[in-house]
Order: sequence, then C-alpha cells, then structure tokens
Amino acid sequence: MSIDRRHFLTGLAATFPGLALTDLLARDGVLSGHLHRPAKAKRVVQFFMAGAASHVDLFDHKPQLEKEHGQQWDPGEGVELFQSSPGASTKSYWEFRPHGACGKAISDIVAPLGGVVDDIAFIHNVVGKTGVHSQGTLLQTTGFNRPGFPSAGSWVSYALGSENDNLPSFVVLPDHRGLASNGTKNWSSMFLPAEHQGTVIRPGAATPIDDLFASKTAGGYLTPEADAAGLEVLRRLNGSYAESRTDDSRLSARLHSYELAARMQLSATEALDVSKEPSYIKDLYGLAPEGPGVDDSTINVKAETEFFGRKCLIARRLLERGVRFVQIWSGNDNGFPRRNWDSHEDVKRDHGPLAAGMAVGAAALIKDLKQRGMLEDTIILWTTEFGRMPCAQGGGGRDHNPFVFTNWLAGGGIRGGVTHGESDQWGFKPLDRDHPTQVYDIHATILHLLGIDHTRLTVRQDSLDRRLTDVHGHVIREILA
Amino acid sequence: MKRSSLLISAVILLPLGATGADPFAVLEKNCISCHNTHDRKGDVVLDRMPLGIDDARAIIDSISGPDPDMPKGRDALKPEEVAALTAWVEAGASIPGGRVLEDTHVPGRDWWSLQPIPIQQGLIADPTGSDRNWAKNAIDAFVIAKLREKNLTPSPEAEPAVLVRRLHFNLTGLPPAPEQVTAFVEDYARRGEPAYRALVDALLDSPAHGEHFARHWLDVARYGETHGYDKDKPRPNAWPYRDYVIGSLNADKPWSQFVREQVAGDVLAPGDPQGIVALGFIAAGPWDLIAHVEVGEGKLDGRIAKHMDRDDMVSAVFNAFMSTTAQCAQCHHHKFDPVSMEDYYRLHAVFAAVDRADRVYDLDPVTQKRREGLAVEIGKAEAGLKAIDKRIADAGGAELSGLKAKIRSLTDQGAGKIVKAPEFGYHSQISADPNMAKWVQIELPADAGPIREIVLTGAHDDFGSIGSGFGFPVRYRVELSSDPAFARDVTVLVDRTGADVPNPGIVPVTIPAAGATGARHVRLTATKLAKRSNDYILALAEMAVIGMDGKNLAAGAPVTSLDTIESGSRWGRRNLVDGKFPTGGDPEATRQLAELRSAEQALLDRLNTPEIVGERAALDGKLAGWRKELAALPAGKMVYAAATHFTKFGGVTPTEGKPREIRLLRRGDIKSPGPVMKPGAPALWAGIAPEFRATNEGEARAALAAYLTAPENPLAWRSIANRVWLWHFGRGIVDSPNDFGRMGMEPTHPELLDYLAAALRDDPKQSLKSLHRLIVTSATWRQGSAGDPAKAAVDGENAYYWRANRRRLSAEELRDAVLVAAGKLNREMGGPSFQDFVIEKPEHSPHYQYHLHDHNDPKSHRRSIYRMIARSQTQPFLTTLDCADPSQMVAKRDETTTALQALALLNNPFMTTMAGHFAARVKGNADPVGAAFAIVTGRAAREEERAALAGYADAHGLENACRVMMNLSEFAYVD
Repeated sequence: MSIDRRHFLTGLAATFPGLALTDLLARDGVLSGHLHRPAKAKRVVQFFMAGAASHVDLFDHKPQLEKEHGQQWDPGEGVELFQSSPGASTKSYWEFRPHGACGKAISDIVAPLGGVVDDIAFIHNVVGKTGVHSQGTLLQTTGFNRPGFPSAGSWVSYALGSENDNLPSFVVLPDHRGLASNGTKNWSSMFLPAEHQGTVIRPGAATPIDDLFASKTAGGYLTPEADAAGLEVLRRLNGSYAESRTDDSRLSARLHSYELAARMQLSATEALDVSKEPSYIKDLYGLAPEGPGVDDSTINVKAETEFFGRKCLIARRLLERGVRFVQIWSGNDNGFPRRNWDSHEDVKRDHGPLAAGMAVGAAALIKDLKQRGMLEDTIILWTTEFGRMPCAQGGGGRDHNPFVFTNWLAGGGIRGGVTHGESDQWGFKPLDRDHPTQVYDIHATILHLLGIDHTRLTVRQDSLDRRLTDVHGHVIREILA
Repeated sequence: MKRSSLLISAVILLPLGATGADPFAVLEKNCISCHNTHDRKGDVVLDRMPLGIDDARAIIDSISGPDPDMPKGRDALKPEEVAALTAWVEAGASIPGGRVLEDTHVPGRDWWSLQPIPIQQGLIADPTGSDRNWAKNAIDAFVIAKLREKNLTPSPEAEPAVLVRRLHFNLTGLPPAPEQVTAFVEDYARRGEPAYRALVDALLDSPAHGEHFARHWLDVARYGETHGYDKDKPRPNAWPYRDYVIGSLNADKPWSQFVREQVAGDVLAPGDPQGIVALGFIAAGPWDLIAHVEVGEGKLDGRIAKHMDRDDMVSAVFNAFMSTTAQCAQCHHHKFDPVSMEDYYRLHAVFAAVDRADRVYDLDPVTQKRREGLAVEIGKAEAGLKAIDKRIADAGGAELSGLKAKIRSLTDQGAGKIVKAPEFGYHSQISADPNMAKWVQIELPADAGPIREIVLTGAHDDFGSIGSGFGFPVRYRVELSSDPAFARDVTVLVDRTGADVPNPGIVPVTIPAAGATGARHVRLTATKLAKRSNDYILALAEMAVIGMDGKNLAAGAPVTSLDTIESGSRWGRRNLVDGKFPTGGDPEATRQLAELRSAEQALLDRLNTPEIVGERAALDGKLAGWRKELAALPAGKMVYAAATHFTKFGGVTPTEGKPREIRLLRRGDIKSPGPVMKPGAPALWAGIAPEFRATNEGEARAALAAYLTAPENPLAWRSIANRVWLWHFGRGIVDSPNDFGRMGMEPTHPELLDYLAAALRDDPKQSLKSLHRLIVTSATWRQGSAGDPAKAAVDGENAYYWRANRRRLSAEELRDAVLVAAGKLNREMGGPSFQDFVIEKPEHSPHYQYHLHDHNDPKSHRRSIYRMIARSQTQPFLTTLDCADPSQMVAKRDETTTALQALALLNNPFMTTMAGHFAARVKGNADPVGAAFAIVTGRAAREEERAALAGYADAHGLENACRVMMNLSEFAYVD
C-alpha cells in the first residue's frame, strides 16, 4: 500500500529541481543495495518464440499421441479453437530421445539442447488466458494480456538498475524480419521511467542501434572530429547554463548525459563487435561463414541458426558487460511467407528450421556462460505466447493451445535436470487442472532469484500498487537449486 | 456529516444492508474483502468452510478493545456487531449449507473529492488584499496564504524576456521569434499590464493554441491512429476526432458541451457532424483486431475481447472526466472508493451497444440514416451468402473438403515456384455486382491471317490470398468479329455463360478457332465476374491469338475494354498482349489441379440445387440493388468512432442500437456471470440513483453525459480544473490527475482547486480560455524560476509555488521548435496525418519503418500534433524524449534525462537534416551564429558564447554549429 519511497523521490525529481544528481542519472535501481533477500542471480535472458511454439513437437513428449496418431482426437469435452475444429491426434513431427544424466526426452529437432538438459528445469503445465497472439504475447512479456504495462525486463531494470553506466540495462534483440505481435509494446516501460524501456539492438544490421552515430546520408558535414569538438562546445555552454542555475540538478544531469552518450558510443560498438571472437566460439553459436547476409529466400536451418546464434553471442557479450536483462526473439509477425512459430499449415516447414536454429544458439549460450562461470548468476527463460494443439489442423499444421504449454528455465539458482508440472496425456491441458503454472509464478520465481519479493516491487498507478505479478504469483520452489 | 454520507451511500448502494444481528452480514461487510479464498490476506480465509484460521477466537481479539487491529483501515465494529461475531465464534464459527460469503463493503463518500464544490462568488472580497505588491488575482490570494503558513515568500516576477518565451510555449507550444521577444519587452516596458494582457489574448486567439492544448487532451484520451495489438492496422479515419479537439479548444467550446459530445454527441445533437466526430474519444484507445474480427463474439476469446474493449471505454470516460478509477471494481467492489461491482457493470451496460468502427459523419440525417440502414442490410445479405456457402460446404462434407484440401495443397506447392513478371495483366474496374458484363478485346493487324486458336492465361496476385487465376471470369464467351462494336458479323468461338466454369488458375485455356479468317477483333466477354474480397472483377494475364504458324498475332496489338484499372506496371490493357504471364508448378501437378477443379465443379453443380441457386440469386440481386443505391448516395466523410450502425466486418456485427446483455461478472470472470445489469453510474454524490432512466442505448449514453456534466458532480469540475493547472505548472494541485480517490494524492491547495473548479462550472460560457487567462495573469505563474537554498530547505519540491518551475519542452514542443529554427515548419492545419515512416507489408502486419522516412519531405514538416501515431511501433525519437504512449492514458508526461536522449538529439536524422536547413536559413546573415543563437534561445548571445560557436563553425561548418545549438539546454528548457 505504501508508495515505494525511492520511486516517489525519482518521480518528484523528474518535475522538481533540487534533488541530487545521483537520483537522476545514476544507474542504481530502486532496490540497489537493499534487496528483499539475498540474490542468487544478477541478470536474465528471455528467449521468446513468437507465434506460439509447439510444446508437443519440442519438449513435452506424449507417447499417447504416437498410439493415437491419425485417429480423430477426442478429449471427451468441448474444445473451441482459434481457427479450426479438432482434427486427428498427431504425434510429434520429430522423434523424442532421452538426453543427459537426467534422461529427459526432448525432440530431435532441438537435440543440441540435449547437451545442456541437465541445467534445465522444464515446466509443462503453463496456462495462458486466451488463444489470441497479441494477448498471449503481452501476458508473457508484461504479465497482463492488454497493453499498458511495463515489460518484465523494465521491472528488473527499474529494480536493479544497470551494472554498466555505458550500456542500457535492458536490451532487446528482435527478429530482424520484423516485430512480433504488439511490436515495441513487448518491451515498453509504460508507467516506469523511460530509461527502463528495452533498447533495440539489431546485430548484423547496418545501424544496429538507432542514433548511436549520425548517418552520413543526412549531411556531408557530419564527421567524427566535428562530433568531438561539438561535444566540447556543448560541455562549455551547457555547463555555464547549469552553473547559473545550480539548484536545478536536471541541468547538470543533462550535461553529464552527453558524456555518457560519448562513452556509450565506444562501449556499444565494442560490445557488438564479434570479429575477435575465436572461431570455436563462432562455431559453437553456429554462425554462418557469410554472416548476416546468409540466404533466407526460403526458410532454412543454416540461416535460422545464423540469425539466432548471432543474437545469442551478442547477448553473452552484453551480459558480460553488465546488461541486466536481454530479450531475444525468434520469429516475426504473422506476415507471409511465414517466418514465425504460428504453424497453422505446416509444422515441419516452420518449426523445423526455427527450432533447429534456436536450439543451437540457446545451447551455445548456456554452455558458453557456464564455461565463463556466469551461468550460476544468469537466469535463462525460454517462453512463447502459448502452445499448439495435439491434434491436426489441415494436413500438417496445429492450431493454438492456450490451455497448456511449456516454459523452461536454466542457470541462476534454478535446479537443472528436473521437470515440474505435467500436461495431460495429450499435452492438451494441465494434468492437474486445479494447479497449473501461470506466468505470474514464472515471474515471481525469477524476481525471487534476483533477490526481489514480487509482492513488494510496486508502483502506484491509477489507484493500484501495480506489480509485475498483478495480484497473483507463487515462487516455484520445486525448481530452485 | 461523515457518518450521514456513509449512511446515504449504504442505502443507495447496498440493498443487501447489514443488520447488526446477522454475523454473516457483519463478516461480508467488514472482513471478506480481504479474507476470501482468492486474496487470503494474512493467510486468513473466512468466506467459506472450512475456515482458514488457526483459532477462530483470534477474530474476537482482533476486533475488540479500544484500538482494534481489524478491520484494517476502517471504522471499528459497533458493539452489536462485535457481539454478533463473538456469539458466532462461541457457537463454533461455522458457515452453514455450503454458503460462500460475498464482500459487500463499498467505501463511503467521506472523502475530499466527493464533497460538494461551494459556490465561490463573493468568497474572495479582495483577492489582492493580502499582498498588494505581489498579488494580482484570486489565485495569488490562495497561494500567498499557504506560503505564509509555511513561512515562505513568493519570488518576484520573471524578466520580461523570460515571460514572453514562457507564454508562447505554454499557450501555443511554439517558440517566439526573436523579434517577437524584443517587441514584447519594449511594449511591456512602455505599457506594463495592458501589454502583457494583449499578448495573452493574442496567443489564446492563435490557432496554435488549440493545437497545443489538443496534444494535452489527446494524451489523456489515449489517442492513436492504429489499432495496436497484433496486425497493427492504420485507422485512416481517426484524425477528424483530433481536428474536433483542436477546433473545440480554439472555439473555446463550453466545457460541458465538449464533454457531452464526446460521450453522446450523436444523440444530443442529431444532425450536427461534430456530435458524431466527437465520439472518436470512446474509440480512441487500442483495439484487438484479431480477437474481434477473426475470432468474434461467437467464441469465448471474442467475448473476453469485447469485455476488455468495454472496460477500456469505461476506464477512459471515468479516468478522463471524473478522475475516478472505476475500473478497479471489475473483480470486486472498489477497495478504496465508493464504486461497487454493480456500478462498474452498469457502466458496461451504457456502452453495451457500441463498437469501434468507421462511420459517416457529415451527411444530412435522412441520407445518413439510409446509409446506415443500407450498410447493415448489406452486411446481413453478405452473411446470408456466407451461410449458403456453409450449407454447401456442409452438404459437400468430407468429399468437398477433401477436394478443396488437395487443391489448396497443390496450389500452395505451386505458389512458391510461380514465376511472373511485374506486369501482371489486364484488370477491369471493380464491380459490386458479379453479374455485370465486362468485355476486353484485341484489334489484330490487317494482315493477321487465319487464326488457329485463342489462349487465355489467368493472372496471379496474392491479394486476398487468391493467387493463381486471379480475376479469371466465372462465366464468359469468346467471339470474333469484323465489327469493333460486335454489333454484326459475330462468330462465337466458345460460350461458357450457361454455367460456372472452374478456375483454371494459371493453366492456359485453349480455345480452337479452326483457322477463322477475316475477323479483325477478338473479344472476351465475362458475364459473371470473379470474386475478389467483397467485390468482383475481370482480370487476365494474357490473351494470345495464335496464327497457323504458331505465332501470336495479338502481340503488342491495341487493346480496348469496357473499363480498366491502369495501375503502375502491374495492371494495364497493354499487359494483356505483352507475352508476359505467370508460369510455374510442375506439369503433373498442373494436370492434377485441373482434374481436381473439374471434379470440384461437378460436385458443386450437384450441390447447388435450384432452390439454393434461387436463394443465392435473390440475395445477389438484393445486394446489387443495395450497393447500387449506396453508391448513388453521397458518400460523406468517415470518422473512426463509437458506432452502432456499420457494415459487418469479420466477427464484428453492428448491434443496430440493441445493447448486448451485460451481466455482472463474478471476479471479473466471463465464465461466472451474475445478474443482468442495466445502464447506470456510481452514485458519487447525494440525490442520484445508480441506475439511469433510459429506454435505449442512446438515452443511456445521454444520461451518462448529463451525469458527467451535472453541476452537482463534485469530481468532474475539480478534474478539469486540476488538469488545466497541471498543464500550466507541470504539477497538479492534485498530483494524481486521473485519480482523486483514496489511493490518489490529496490536494496541496484544496480551496484553490475548488475556486478554479467553481469558476469554470459557474461561468455561463464555461470557458477554458478564461481559466487559462486567470492562471497565466496571476503573480504565482509569473514568478521567476530562480532557486533559493533557504526556501528550498523548507519546500524543495516547490509544492507551495514560491517560484516558477523551470520546465523541459515536451517531445512534440521540441520537435516543433526544431522545425521553427530550421525555417521549415509547415503551418497547414487539420486533415489526414502526415507519416514520418514508410509502411512496408501493409497487406498483413504493417511495418512502420521510421528509418526509411525522408526528413526532407515537406509533408512531414507539419506540427507534431498532425503526426500519425502508430501504436505497435512508436516514433523512436519522440519516445526517447518521453512522448506519451498511446496505449495508456497519460495525465502527465514523464521527464527523464538519459544518454539515449543525448544521442537522439545529436544524431537522429531528423535533427541532422534540420541542422542543415537551419544553417542555410541563417547563412546569409552578417552574423549567422548570432542569428541562430537568438532563434534557439530568444536572446542575444554573450560574447564568449558567440566566440565559442563561431570558432566551432569556422572549423567544422555552420551546420554543425546549428546542430550544437539545437542541443543547448537553454533550447530544451523554459525558465
């Protein structure tokens, strides 16, 4: 019920001069230095499979579907699907095989993840609210199924701040072909201060970060020398403006922001330069010899591996340099031809390359973080807006399944090699329908590992003390190390 | 007073009523809001058996004694209530018969914002009495009283040059030109107060005033020009609402009229276009196209979306006009303010008949009504045709669906391999009637010789996912004649007008001509056109006329037709004879496809019984008639607004004014419906009933409009008075402008707020401009912004206004000021928004590509208020500068200071492009740097400033110097 004091102060500082500079530009979060509990982890990676990835084809093995394959699927209750009416029971398009010491069976299409399966906790009984992409995506990114709420990454940035003044604390690596449902809403800070919105980085693009440097095409007069000298003039003139108004800390903060900007130009450029990475690392992440220019005129494994792997490698470099939260997307909007996980027509065609590429990059990131000793305090979350049905849609597709789907976590305080929460024999609904896992529980668990009580990280907004987990959420103790 | 208002609210809002003797009523009123199965506060559950409490006697302990712990934050229980619960606990604390207790507590009206606003006339005998040297009007009397209370003194008036810049930005959002600054400073020195008032009046009368304050209001209205969510489609007709707001503010429309129009303008002022345009407010927020159009209310997900849609409307109206968070009563009674769940769902009932849709606004009422009627009839007939299609599909069963699936699969396989030129073919005009005959013909050369055969090849276009055979006629004939008018000497080569022909896709259709001679003209006449989306066309990639030697006699020949669409390279008559047509797919698949299509056609011919054919023809006939009538009516202009009559689109069916049934939803869950709710609004002041007396949906909205503007309404007037104050001072008297409830902030100057609220309410003109004038002519507003450590030690936030607040320009003000500096600002007002992005992939999920925009495009040099606001991809430059997000109601902008802002202001192509124009503008000046400096700051540069900039300009060019000047703090801040 009480307004968090720190937020209260920054809110006022935004309007009222007089507070210390440190309140305006320091990259501390509201909980820096006084976490609710000892933290197991410091940073988070969120993998997001846009379009809704099929749990029954990737991670949730359903022998019952193999038995029933091809027969009309009958769950014994009415089912209302997004586009279609239920078709035949359809087994996974790929074989499942056990991996690791834990013997967890995962699909051949994500086999590279078999090498790190002992670091992963699978949750097969996650439920959504509706089978609508936009709502499902927002629910997973912000905890609410309508726009207007900060992204989980914004909350974490708001709470913990950045470990590096010269890089943004929340970075988003979108699919290079376009944005998923809701676009930038999935990483907006909304009612949290704008510095906590996700900063988009497009690895391999001509302009990886908007406005990091001036574009020469906008004027031939733009040169590095002019930039440097210009910053010096600004320092003098803005400095004297601020000095004549010493009571207004915003002005000195603004002065300082130009110095930070110059430092960010160097830091970000260095962080995004993978050219000096050894070749075994590039190979680990599956980078293509031709780089981001790899041919993807038709969807294919090589290109998907390059795109996703490069983002994972950049993510590692950003995490090493103190970025707090990295969101990595696979798949774009529902355009044509399909380049996302929304396989209504052909699971093999879309899921095949996307999953194969994702598995290489995700497994590489987990291994690489582990060998650098960073996995122990980096939480990895794999999610999607919902799952896909155990029955067929048309010849080779599957319709939306918001009734149950899979998330998995790894690293930072997560117990590896476990499965918590099962789906029913088909992967249609939770096995125990009264006790599903909800996104609130996932978020509560992540905050818990970061040292945050999810019920106490709140901001007053229109009569309510808003939090990432709304009025819900339980820490999933079963998957804690 | 406190007690009695509580009682009144209990009588009005709580028909259940608590009797002191019933322990369950006591629990429901006092305990269940927290101690229920869902909330489980303190791990205590008291709403059902088994109770969730270790020892029930703890209940008695917690409610007894002089200072009881429970109920938390509320009045202690009365002795008889304590007695009732004690007896219940002693009897074993049991709830019988599987009963689940429901929270009945609704907070009372004993709260500052719910008290009546007193009439102010005569309240302040001599506003300046308190401090004649400083105070100028009534506002100052309230402010100085508070300052004295805190042992603070006000600051002297700001310098005239500061005042003029502040006035310009505050009242118009635009900077003064250097000469305007000079002129005012001189005039003020000469004439004093009259000069100041003249400037205020001029700025309030300037069209830029409405543009500037419209931005404030549109922030609150969550106005955007795309839907948001998935497939973020543009709303090309949203802008008339934006122009309505600008126009209303410039015209100084009485405030209550402005409010009423935005909720029920169509009902209250029938025939007035502005009454309809104003309803853009209700529709302004985000909207989930997929859930409404593709899923629809036939499914649970569609009904959930519709519920969320109404929630957005209810929240918008109550937050914007009432500063009340009615939306908090969706799952339980409002925990802090007197809004029950019943109240909340009554508000849903007010909006139960409206959807968001394009509607015509500028026609005479008769035409308007006829158009709306036709739109609905057309929608119904289209649905009727769809129903027939479904009957056919059902009757065709597995056989038909199997054929379709195979055809689809073959077409899909082929689609990837289709090779086609950018010249698609010939395309007729679009027709509403499938049975309209259209023809296209070729004039052969005089020496053409005998004809072996005619080859028709279908076109390929992804439009509407049609693909191969796009526009290929359903019924047609091909004829030869020596007469270009085909009035005589006609040879019919083939006549396929008697029955529908399967679409051949891109498989060439060969029509033998048996060596015909003497015919100069070959004509194809379609007697039944191909369906596109909801209309009909004739299209063809190629019509080849093959001579006996196999050569195409028609190559490059003149083509004529009844009509045509000549659109870029894709479609045009010449493309019919250019030898370019789509090819692809393997021959075997092509053959199979043709076979499958014949089989499908044969089956369809069987299924289309004469009865069905008759029905369809009847509907087609009606549709054609209606469409013709509609086409003949004046089209009118469209606005995206709340609507009850429109053409059904996808799953969105117009209600025609018949409200959907609204039920109270227990815990906000659509699967737990409670009683049916009638339109109404919370009884937030004495003497009103929570249900409206309304017999139809229009009356319900009109009743809500009356409620929102009632003189007795304690919230509405305080709400807008506070917003106006906020827009001038950067801080509200109540600093939670959308929430005057118990979770919001309390007013720093309650009497001042009431004074301003009453001033607006009791002004016969209800003029906002009068309120602006009152505020900006006050001594309070005119203070200097300089700091004072001693005063800051008492009031560091300046909550009591001992000085002015220096403010940073908003994102839009800054962008507009850059355009002004560059000499590029285009002052064209109104009309469709400019786009500072390129839309890629518009047909599916539009990509709003800001980086592709040409910043030299003069269309994009208009004021920022005319920018098209996309929700899924907000404008990156403005977003970095704390622009409002159109997916939420923004009462007050954030103000952050970040390194990303510095990068954007230095490097964004908008800035660097404008720096170039700025330099070009001042280049011819004797002292270009000095001129530029005066433009960005409103003052002359001091020598050291001029020297630093001139030296830099010499070394790195004037453009860079201009770029640096647009990064000055003095440019971004207003003292």
